[in-house]
Amino acid sequence: MALFAGNEVSAAGFDLTDPRDQAAFAAQLAAHDRRQKSWQQFKVGLVWLAMFMLLGIALRLLNVSYLYIFEHFGFVLEGIWVTLGVSLASITIATILALLGALGRLSPHAIFQGVSGFYVSIFRGTPLLVQIFIIYLGLPQIGQQLKAMGYPQLGNLFILGAIQSGILALSLNYGAYMTEIFRAGIQSVAKGQWQAASALGMSHLQTLRMVVMPQAIRMIIPAIGNQFIAMQKDSSLVSVMGIWEITYRANRFARKDSMFMEMFLLAAAMYWILTMISEWLQARLEQRMAQGEHR
Amino acid sequence: MQKRISLLALVLIVALLVAACSAPAAAPAAPVATTDAAASDAAPAASGDLLAEILARGTLRISTDPAYPPQSELVESPEKPASTKCTGEERTAAEFQGFDIDAAVEIAKRLGVEPCFVTPDWTLITGGNWAGRWDLSIGSMTITPERMEKLYFSQPYYTTPAAFFVHNENTTFTAPADLSGKKVGACAGCTYESYLDGTLAIPGETIDFVVTDAEITGYDTDTSGLQDLALGDGVRLDAMLTALPTGQGYIADGNPVKQLGDPVYFEYLAGAIDKGSPLDTTSFRAKVDEVIQAMHQDGTLKQLAEKYYGTDLSAAAAPFDIAGLKQ
Repeated sequence: MALFAGNEVSAAGFDLTDPRDQAAFAAQLAAHDRRQKSWQQFKVGLVWLAMFMLLGIALRLLNVSYLYIFEHFGFVLEGIWVTLGVSLASITIATILALLGALGRLSPHAIFQGVSGFYVSIFRGTPLLVQIFIIYLGLPQIGQQLKAMGYPQLGNLFILGAIQSGILALSLNYGAYMTEIFRAGIQSVAKGQWQAASALGMSHLQTLRMVVMPQAIRMIIPAIGNQFIAMQKDSSLVSVMGIWEITYRANRFARKDSMFMEMFLLAAAMYWILTMISEWLQARLEQRMAQGEHR
Repeated sequence: MQKRISLLALVLIVALLVAACSAPAAAPAAPVATTDAAASDAAPAASGDLLAEILARGTLRISTDPAYPPQSELVESPEKPASTKCTGEERTAAEFQGFDIDAAVEIAKRLGVEPCFVTPDWTLITGGNWAGRWDLSIGSMTITPERMEKLYFSQPYYTTPAAFFVHNENTTFTAPADLSGKKVGACAGCTYESYLDGTLAIPGETIDFVVTDAEITGYDTDTSGLQDLALGDGVRLDAMLTALPTGQGYIADGNPVKQLGDPVYFEYLAGAIDKGSPLDTTSFRAKVDEVIQAMHQDGTLKQLAEKYYGTDLSAAAAPFDIAGLKQ
């Protein structure tokens, strides 16, 4: 703390009844706040550095061929585009599903409430991997039955390729979780807003669209970012259908050459870097969303 | 008003439920007729015949799991062919290498089409119901009665002896029979596991279960089991039951394991075709059998086996009576 000695801000020397002194004192307080903040950031940065060094030591202790990792880096890296593509497509569809789901959950109608409640329950209550298998294996059987019944076009809709099945499973699963996020976001908007809108003669839908959603979205967007980060990692499950994303590529070489630690470390590092980039983007987005809150 | 809509909705749901419950009663009758009916709708150009569709398409779509050298493995920086008929989700032959790959490429060549590969998980291949996503599995698949429920098998293209492996330092086990009651590893869901729990039945072969009451550990792949065995004698495993070539390959890599006794049984490894195919597979199956038998007769498979395994593992597969399977 000696480093920052004399940094304490005191009102002494200021005549706080004078508006000009008030402003100067406030400026000094703000500067002090900033200094404190960057000092804190510096300390946290040091801790991170120490943690990285510990991790480095742990990695040195592992019996791992770093040359092997280096040699296969490029091959596994190519999978990043598939991982990103599948995750982006899935989070987009999941967002739409979640919006519909939340509206259903909050709807006064039994049918919407029932359907969305059932959807959330079934897709949140079963493992994602099992859902992937059921969608990949089960839907084509329904499709073939439909074809047999004389609806070839409808039947073909049910016969999905590996990537399509993966995106559908991820979307449905995450859509169910995000339904609850959207519901909570919408419910976080004060009841008074609804009443005020109603007093102005706005309909239920108008209120939702023009009053409630713009406020709810501020709560929801950061949560979507969070789900996107989780999804990038869960997308590794689609490798079971032979989609060549990061995990699939890493796993084939791991099995082939018995280099499990090497390839799993490599895959883990790639997911980590990928999610760190997402985290950074999410932080910026959150800052932007918060702009209206305080100025 | 609201109440009335809710009531209407409830009535609708009840109606749906009734419909859903009555549907299954009608469904079981369908399957027999289904295959033919579905086939005629699926690909009018191919008039419902898989072989005709393959020839029209110009590609043979083969499933492979490239984690099993020397059968199938990835080529890291392949020279991609200048032009290919394989679609975006399919892979060209240049991206793989191995015995299965060479055999599959040869089959496609003799059909006069381009081989394209897909790489689904092994369980998805053996489970059947491929929904027409690929045509043929060339994945060193053992013919078993369970798999025959879901898949048609082709003339086997080679055999694999199954053998026990123990740690180098072990001196107490002298024959496979000594492993009764011990900790034995095998890949989960594979024939090796069925052998250990005494349920294995290979059509056309009488099996002698010399190891009984083994404490079985199932592994995702044989290699992870062998790794556990290499940790030390009895540390995690006393023995591992796996394919002779797999175990020998692991030893050749310099790992401290050794083979215990003679192979305990032989597996016939064949191509597989989906029984639930939306198209008629009859002529395709006959053609594949014919092609594989020709590859036995002219020595192609013998040559390939010697190239990849160092011995001719194909000889015992040629006389296998495929008609005897009564598929």
